[in-house]
Amino acid sequence: MKQAYYIFSNGILKRNDNTLQLVYEDGQKKDIPIERVDELYILGETSVNTKLLDFLAKNNICIHFYNYYEYYVGSFTPRESLVSGKVLICQVQHNQDHGKRMALAKAVIQAASYNIYRNIRYYNKRGKDLESHMARIENLRDSINYCENIEELMGVEGNIRKIYYDTWETIINQQIDFRKRVKHPPDNMINSLISFINSLVYTKVLSEIYKTQLNPTVSFLHEPSTKRFSLSLDIAEVFKPLIADRLIFTLLNKNMINEKSFDVDQYYLRLKPQALKLITNELDQKLKTTIKHRDLGRDVSYQYLIRLELYKLIKHIIGEKPYQGFKIWW
Amino acid sequence: MYVILVYDISNEENGPKTWRRVFKICKKYLTHIQDSVFEGELSESQIFKLKGELKKHLRTDLDSCIIFKSRNEKWLDKEFWGREDNATSNFL
Repeated sequence: MKQAYYIFSNGILKRNDNTLQLVYEDGQKKDIPIERVDELYILGETSVNTKLLDFLAKNNICIHFYNYYEYYVGSFTPRESLVSGKVLICQVQHNQDHGKRMALAKAVIQAASYNIYRNIRYYNKRGKDLESHMARIENLRDSINYCENIEELMGVEGNIRKIYYDTWETIINQQIDFRKRVKHPPDNMINSLISFINSLVYTKVLSEIYKTQLNPTVSFLHEPSTKRFSLSLDIAEVFKPLIADRLIFTLLNKNMINEKSFDVDQYYLRLKPQALKLITNELDQKLKTTIKHRDLGRDVSYQYLIRLELYKLIKHIIGEKPYQGFKIWW
Repeated sequence: MYVILVYDISNEENGPKTWRRVFKICKKYLTHIQDSVFEGELSESQIFKLKGELKKHLRTDLDSCIIFKSRNEKWLDKEFWGREDNATSNFL
């Protein structure tokens, strides 16, 4: 069972005795068993050298870097070992053909909006009055099928999200002052939190994409553009309600995160180290949560669900089985 | 599978050399928690690989290596008597 390792401390990460070694600033050393590492997240100030990168590449480990403001900087990924021209060609064809692309994009939005709906329904049952929001989302979901192009679809998606974010003030028990989703840069605590957790989810999806033959830059719902891995945005769309949003609700409702977890002088842009650790830990636990898969008949973790989603996508684009987005079934 | 590995390497016949090799191999798979004790979660195939690597170096007449397996970490009651050390964490 491999797992992700998160490095918050400042120091040097290097190769030593054919395994990883983290040397802290005070000279203390800590060995990381290489055979157990799935991917590395660097959230502190860490030095690495090419020898280490070479070693990681050999062991097929991705390393993701975050800057001082916990903003995703980039990843080092080993030379692609899983390449398949056939899948790539099919993937591009599905992007180019309007009908094929719409079918996939609709499937993604269908699944994503259903998961959003489920989140609201859950809190509605828990005594928060959200009936009207539920009805409005259901209406919008019906219109997904009639969308004729991507822009229209994105419009519907945007409306669903707006209604969804409107419910957050009710769902979350803390005073959050969350009126609008603001990025670049986020303007308050909740927006910062969403940005940070979403970026973690994107990277998780990206790591999973690298474990398949799919190309992370060719997407269906989002416009494939340069400089970003838009396929991971597509897939993350489906999982954000399940993984990111639910995590945010828990963190805030259990008061594990509050205004005090942020640097106020920095306009809530930066999480305090302790809070950062707590969030990544909770996310890690969440991704390890297992559920019984209906079709496979065995326990799978949330993280593996992401991979299964990608496999479904491959099956769709090579024409084996139509893609059905992941919907919360429990 | 949650695993605890302990070894005892004899000092005779180039013992230190064997010890060094065994130590380095274990370090690749498990977290070093005490002098000759390692622990961590491994899959069946990883245990097999580890065993294969160790077998090359362990001298059957002198050294011993014991591996305790538990289906899951939660079936293992871990208690610290003395200094507490959360060495197996993946948050560093």
